[in-house]
Parts: sequence; C-alpha cells; structure tokens
Amino acid sequence: MSSTSFDHLSKWIERHEREPELVAKEKLDRIIRITELKTPDRVPLLAPSGDFMLNQTGLTWYDLSYELTDKVKKAVSKFALEYPGDFAIFFVPYLLEGFILAAAFSDFPDFSNSIRFISGLLHDVLRDKWSRWPGRELRVDQHPQFIGGEFMKPEEYSKLVEDPVGFIHGTILPRACSGLGSPGTPQWNGAWIRAGFAVQRAMGFMMETLMQLKGYPATPLTNAYVPADIIGDFLRHPTGAILDIRRHPDEFKAACDALLEPVLKVATAIPPIPPLTMFFIPLHLNEMLPPKLYNEFYWPYLKKIIETLVGKGYKGFVFFEGDHTPHVDTLLELPKGWGIAWFERPRDFVKSVWGKLKGHTTVAGGISPMLFYQSPEKVEEYVKNLLQEIKPEGGFMIAPGVSELPKDANPASVKAFINAVLKYGVY
Amino acid sequence: MKPVKYTLRVNYLKDLVNSIVELDEQKSFELAKRILEETRDPKVVFEAVRQAAEIIGEKYEKGEFFVADLIMAGEIMKTISGLARQKLKELGEARKIIGKLLIGTVEGDVHDIGKNIVVSMAEAVGFEVIDLGVDVPPSKFVEAVKEHNPDILGLSGLLTTAIDSMKKTVDELKKAGLRSKVKVIIGGGRVDQYACEYVGADAWSNDAAEGVKIMLKWMEEKAK
Repeated sequence: MSSTSFDHLSKWIERHEREPELVAKEKLDRIIRITELKTPDRVPLLAPSGDFMLNQTGLTWYDLSYELTDKVKKAVSKFALEYPGDFAIFFVPYLLEGFILAAAFSDFPDFSNSIRFISGLLHDVLRDKWSRWPGRELRVDQHPQFIGGEFMKPEEYSKLVEDPVGFIHGTILPRACSGLGSPGTPQWNGAWIRAGFAVQRAMGFMMETLMQLKGYPATPLTNAYVPADIIGDFLRHPTGAILDIRRHPDEFKAACDALLEPVLKVATAIPPIPPLTMFFIPLHLNEMLPPKLYNEFYWPYLKKIIETLVGKGYKGFVFFEGDHTPHVDTLLELPKGWGIAWFERPRDFVKSVWGKLKGHTTVAGGISPMLFYQSPEKVEEYVKNLLQEIKPEGGFMIAPGVSELPKDANPASVKAFINAVLKYGVY
Repeated sequence: MKPVKYTLRVNYLKDLVNSIVELDEQKSFELAKRILEETRDPKVVFEAVRQAAEIIGEKYEKGEFFVADLIMAGEIMKTISGLARQKLKELGEARKIIGKLLIGTVEGDVHDIGKNIVVSMAEAVGFEVIDLGVDVPPSKFVEAVKEHNPDILGLSGLLTTAIDSMKKTVDELKKAGLRSKVKVIIGGGRVDQYACEYVGADAWSNDAAEGVKIMLKWMEEKAK
C-alpha cells in the first residue's frame, strides 16, 4: 500500500497541529454523543499504546516508568500525534493496579483517587509485592507487571468484614508492603510522607504530559472497582478468591458487602462535572466465573456500583477483560445509556456483544490487537466490513481489545487502521 | 466374587468421574480415598481423572465451564491423583508416563494461573511435567528441550508481549534444529489463531482442559 493511501490520517494529523483546540473539542463531542447512544459525525477510535508505542519511540519500559523527563514527554507527544485517537489512555509514567490503596484511604477524598494506581515511584517507597517494575525486579525492557498475591488467609474474612479499612491498614499493608514496616513506627510514618511525594510527582508529570498533547481533550475520570476483584487482586490472589467462592461463599459475600462502601467513597470523591465525568472500572474475575457464580458474587456488586454512580450523574467506562460474552445479557438490567462498555476479546463481537447491546449500552471494541500483524490491506478490509455492519447505529467506539498493541505490530497496519476508521467511519 | 468386584469398580469409576465433573471437592476426596482403600487400585483414580479431564475440556469448549471451574477441577485432580500416587508408592509401583511436557511462562511475563492449571491437569492425566516456572528466557527453553527431550513444549503467557516472547522461543528452537522434535502449544488469555500462526506453534488454547485434550491426542497419534 502506498503512503498516499493514508490521506485521511495525514489530514487529521495536520489538523491536530493547525487547530488543536478544535480537534480536541470534536473528539470530546464524539465521546459525549456516543455515551448518549447517538451518532457522532464519525465513529470515534481508541488510540493505540503499549509496547508498540515504545518500539516506535525508542523508549524503554524503564523510561516510561521512572524517567520523568522532557525526553519522555516529547516522545509520547510525538507518538500521540503520529498515531492519534479520539480517546486515549496514556499512562506516563506507567501505572499498575493499586485500588486497594484508594480503598485504604477512602476517607480522604482529596487524594484517594490519586493513589488509586501504583507507579514505579510509589512502588519504590512501598516496596509492595503486588507489582514488579523494570529496572527493579524486571529488566529495563520488560513491561511492568501486576502479579498480586495472597496476603490474607481464608480464616481472616471475618476481620475484613468487621472493619475493611482498618484491616487493610493494620494487617494487609504491612504484609504486602515491606517498605512500610509496622504501623505507627517512624518507618511507617516516614514512608507515607514519601509515598505522598511520589504520588504527587507521578501525577504531576502525567498531567503535564497530557496537557501538552496536541488535540486531546481533558475529561475528568474517577475510579471504582468490584469488591470481588479487590479480594482476588490484592488479598487472596485470583486462584484463592475463586476457591473461596466455592469453599467459603458466605464469608466471601459478606466481604464484598463490606467493601462496597469504601469503593463508592473513592468513586464519589471526584464530583461529577458536566458535560462528562466517567468512572473507570477494569474487571478481572468476570470472565473466569460461570454465570451462576458471576450472578451471585460479582454482578450484584458491579450493578450496584454502576447504578449508584449513574444516578449521581457519572457515566461508566468499564473494561470487560477477556471474553465477557456469557454475561453480556446482564448489562441490559442497567439504565439505558449508563456508559461505555469496552470488550477485550468477546467470542463474536458483532453478534453477541453489539447485536445485544446496541441502543442500550455504548460499546467499545471490535479489533483484536493481533490484527496488526496482518497487512495494511487486510486491516483496511476488516475495518471497512466491521463498520459496515455496525455503523447504522450510534453508541460505538472502535477500539483494539486492549489499548496496548504488541511490540512488533506493523506500523503501516496501525496507520491503516486509523486511516480506515477516518475513511469509512463517517456517518 | 470377581464379577461383583468388577461392577463395583465400574461404579466407583463413574461416581468419581461425576463428582469431579460436578466439582464436588469433598465427595471426590472421600470417594478417591474409599476406592484406594477398598480396591487398592490407583489406576481407577487415574482413569477417573483422565475421563473427567476429557469431559471438562468438552464442557469448556462448549462454554458450559469457565476458568473458575477449571481451577476447582485442577485442585480436585491434584489432590486425588496425589492420593493415588501415594498409594502406588506404597504398593511399590510406578505410574506409566504417557508423555513428557516441558512448560513455562515465557520471558517478560510472570503470570501463572493458567500454566498452573495445565500443570495440575497434565500431571493428573499421566504426563511427566517439567515446569520451568515464570519469565523463562528462550535460551532456557532450548537448553531444557535438549536436556529433557520432551514430547511437547507448552508456552504460556498472559501479556500481549508474551506473544513476541513465544515467537522468539520458537525461533530459537528452529535455530537449534530442535523444532521438529517437539510439538509446541501456546496458551494464555490473549492467544488466538493469529498468534498461533505468528508464533509458529502447532496449536493454541485459551483453556487448560482443552490444551490437555490436544496434548493427549498428540500422544495418541505418536503412539500409533
């Protein structure tokens, strides 16, 4: 494919530089329109990132995790311009799951959302066992990894239920974070002050980086988490949580009930600001659970969180990890237009996700990151066909199953993807 | 007396298979214990595990079973085949190995939930499993293939980057002239047909039971 075939992309990039405010406004309008289940001027697309971005920019995972420098800022800005999207998730510095920390500080609305993720800087202070970082436990070219772990015994559910926040502080944090030492000691107190500095530095750098991207809107975002995932990710490891559901169902459910309050406190710490404030929830145990267990131990809590927050004026942005197809129908129990459901790799996107949810839920997805190993022609053909099937309705964002594309995804194919959306996505 | 004992055994086998497939941990444990005490024949337990793995694989394929079910099934199989192995040892016998599986989570990835289910199930159905753990570099896989001469190499990984590491591993295997000596299966949440072709693997699977089923089929073909 000749470079002239990317005409639509070239023009859009040029507009990012020439009229960034207008381009940003158009992007925001598209997102608002789709969350209202309406047709925007064009199908919005979610920007690529991940290993592919590093490969294109020459940055390492260490750079992206620890180097808070102009070099990193410039490289990310250049990439965001070269491979633009309407909606982007750029973690600069990189961030991993850390919702347990937000829950631990759920009574501090001024910073609970700022400590919702673990950055490399925060990891250095906490020395948490949940995450592993390049240049620390991993090689500099390795992706930061959330591994979780088992930090609570099944016998301890009653303590978690009795006082979730107190139990996290007094028992879980000392076990999971060797940098903290014991509660109340000078090391503990000093570490939290350092943690505050680390969070401020990381978040400050991210804000600076995002502010200087050309043509990207800033949308406020708050955070929530499903109680069962707090248990699986941070307390019992997914395997332990899954076995607990069958071995200790009552205790597990009581713990989910107890964790709801801190989750909602974190989510509402950032007020809903018009026209659009979204709450982000990544789901983890969802696809692993059979419907019977999902409907008893997972969905009631997710539903409650979404309904509560939508009732307060937020819109959802929920990442359905894995193949969520078996549970898709439950989403129809939510109020129409509740938010964006982003699907990683459903078995049959068009039929079993889009077919069921269109007109009710805003849907994001449709692209396997593996598609970018195909030729630009194949990518264009795929996007064209997908959009032909989906486009008559609104409420859709075309997105790779995860925003992180593989390292050696074909750059021409990624460009062909964006170009094809610009070309065939116009309503 | 003989025919009676035979009927008893068949029922035991069926009951144990059912209780594993129903994911009834307690019942499976007690049944296995009773079988081993009464029949003193660990083969019945191993056979039940093999049959259950097959049924569970089919159920997963049909979308009736989920990862949570595989984890529970893996736990049950691990426990009761452990009991059976212990009995075998008491009887001074060794279990017939149906094949050798070398497995690990590929370089750059430390996720091991899926891999661990595969290890439990593969061991339970009679594979000798060499588990290299997580974040295994290509060179280590190649060395281990040379050293252990496995029938099958299992490459596991959850991250998108894992796909690249899988490819690198297969490429290294080719360079070392070992590719034709082993079947390669890749597994993990993000692998699919595209990934399988890209990596140059012989098969892919998103679920442990199906993966074990594929490996059993390979061993059957090899035995012919």
